[in-house]
Amino acid sequence: MKERLSELMDGELDDRSAAEVIKALGSNREAVRAWRTYQLISDAMRESRLLSADFTARFSERLAHEPTVFAPRAMQTESRRWLAMSAAASVAAVALVAWVAFAPQPELKSAAPVAQAEPKPNLVPLPSAANDYLLAHQGFSPRLSLQGMAPYVRTVSEQAVEPRK
Amino acid sequence: MRLKQLLVAGLCALGPAVVHAQSADALGWLRKMHNATHKLSYTGTFVYQNGVRSETSRITRFADASGDVEKLEVMDGMPREIVRTKDTVSCYLPGSRVVKVDRRTERDFPALLPERITGLARHYDISLGETHRIAGYDCQAVVLTPRDNLRYGYRLYADVTTGMLLKAVTLDAKGEQVEQMTFTQLTMGGVTRDMVQPRRGARSWRVEDAAAAPAQLAGWGLSKELPGFEKIIELKRRLGETRSAGQVVYSDGMAAVSVFIEPLEARSEPARTGLSSMGAIHIYTREVANHRVTVVGEAPAVSVQRIANAVEYRKP
Repeated sequence: MKERLSELMDGELDDRSAAEVIKALGSNREAVRAWRTYQLISDAMRESRLLSADFTARFSERLAHEPTVFAPRAMQTESRRWLAMSAAASVAAVALVAWVAFAPQPELKSAAPVAQAEPKPNLVPLPSAANDYLLAHQGFSPRLSLQGMAPYVRTVSEQAVEPRK
Repeated sequence: MRLKQLLVAGLCALGPAVVHAQSADALGWLRKMHNATHKLSYTGTFVYQNGVRSETSRITRFADASGDVEKLEVMDGMPREIVRTKDTVSCYLPGSRVVKVDRRTERDFPALLPERITGLARHYDISLGETHRIAGYDCQAVVLTPRDNLRYGYRLYADVTTGMLLKAVTLDAKGEQVEQMTFTQLTMGGVTRDMVQPRRGARSWRVEDAAAAPAQLAGWGLSKELPGFEKIIELKRRLGETRSAGQVVYSDGMAAVSVFIEPLEARSEPARTGLSSMGAIHIYTREVANHRVTVVGEAPAVSVQRIANAVEYRKP
C-alpha cells in the first residue's frame, strides 16, 4: 500500500489505479497517516510553504457546512442503483468542492510541484549550432508519425539566428 | 498540482464512460492520420508560421513497397533540402556545401505507434473539433488539450476522406497559437521517384555523418523526471563535423525533448546558460560537470527548463 501511495504522489498511477488507492485512503487510517507523512516529507524536501497547522480542520469544517444537494431524504427509499448513483454524486460533489476550494487560492500554488516556479531564465540567442541540435532532435518527434517530415521545417535559416523574446 | 492530479484522477475515475465515449472517435481519427502518413503519396506547398515569421516549403512523399522517400525543400530564405528514406535523413545545405547525414534503423525509431495513441489520453484530453475546409479538402479537427501545463495543446485537421493531416496548430496554456503548419496546396498521388531525389548534385559537398548509435551514457541522468515524459532512447552521436555528444530523448507520446551532453573541451565557445526559443521549440543550455548540456524540445519553456535543471552527473 505504501508503495502505491508513493506512486500516487508522484503521479505515476493510471486513472484506474489512482482511483483504487484514493478509495482505499477513505477506509484505511494507517494509509491516511502514511499519506500525510509522505506529503510532509515531500514538502520539507522541496522547502514548500506549509499550509497553516489547522488547515485540515478548517477545511473539514467548511466542507461539513456545504449543503448536500445530491442526496435528498426521499431518495433513500429508492432502489439500490439510486443509492449508488447519489453516493457517486456526493463523491463528485466533494471532489468539486475540494477543487473549487483549492483552485483559486494562489498561495496554495507553492505547495504544488508543477506550479513551483523555475527560476526566471536568462533569454539568450539561439545557439550557433541550433540546426545541428534541431536536426538531431526532430527525428525523434512522435509527430513525424502523424505528419510525415513536416516538423523538419523547424530548422533555422542563417538569417534567423538572433535573439527572440 | 499533486492535489489537482488527485482530484482529476478521482473525477476521471467517476466518469470514465463519458471521457471514453467522447474520445473514441477522436482516437480513431489520430489512427487514420497515422495510416495516411504511412500510405499516401503526395506533393504540396506547406507554410510554417511562428509569430511573425513564416516560411514556405514544398513537401513531396513517394510511398512505395520498396521503401518510402520523402523530401522537404524550404523555398524561402536560405535554401535547404531534407530527404528522408527509411533509414537515413540527409540535410543538404547549399550555402555551406554540406550534407548532414543521420542514419538510423527503423528499429530504434520511436515512432508514435498506433497502440501508443491510446496512451496519449493520459496526458491530453482528446476530442473532435469542427470541420473546416483547408486547401480544397474538407477536414475534421481533432483537439488535444493538455491535462497540465507541461505540454502544449494541438489542433490537428485531417482530410475527411483520406485522413491526411493538412494543418497542425500548436497552442499554449492560454490557448494562443505558438506555431502553425498548413498545406496551402496539396495533390495526392501522381508522385514519381524522381521527384524525391535531392535536386542538386552534392557529390563534392562535405558530408557530416552523425554516426548515431544507441549507447548508455554512464553516470548521466535526471534527478527528477518530468511527469508523463518517459525516456525513449539514449544514444551517442556526432554533432556538426566532429563534436561527439550524448543524446537522451524523453517523450509523452506527442512532444519530445532531447538532452544533448557534450564535453566542454570539444567546444571553442563557452556554454552560455539560458533559454532561447523558436516557435514551439525551446532550447535551454547550461553547464554540468564540465559538460555543456543543451535541452531541445517542442514543449513549453517550463518543461524544457525543468528537464535541463534536473540533468545530473553521478560518478558511476
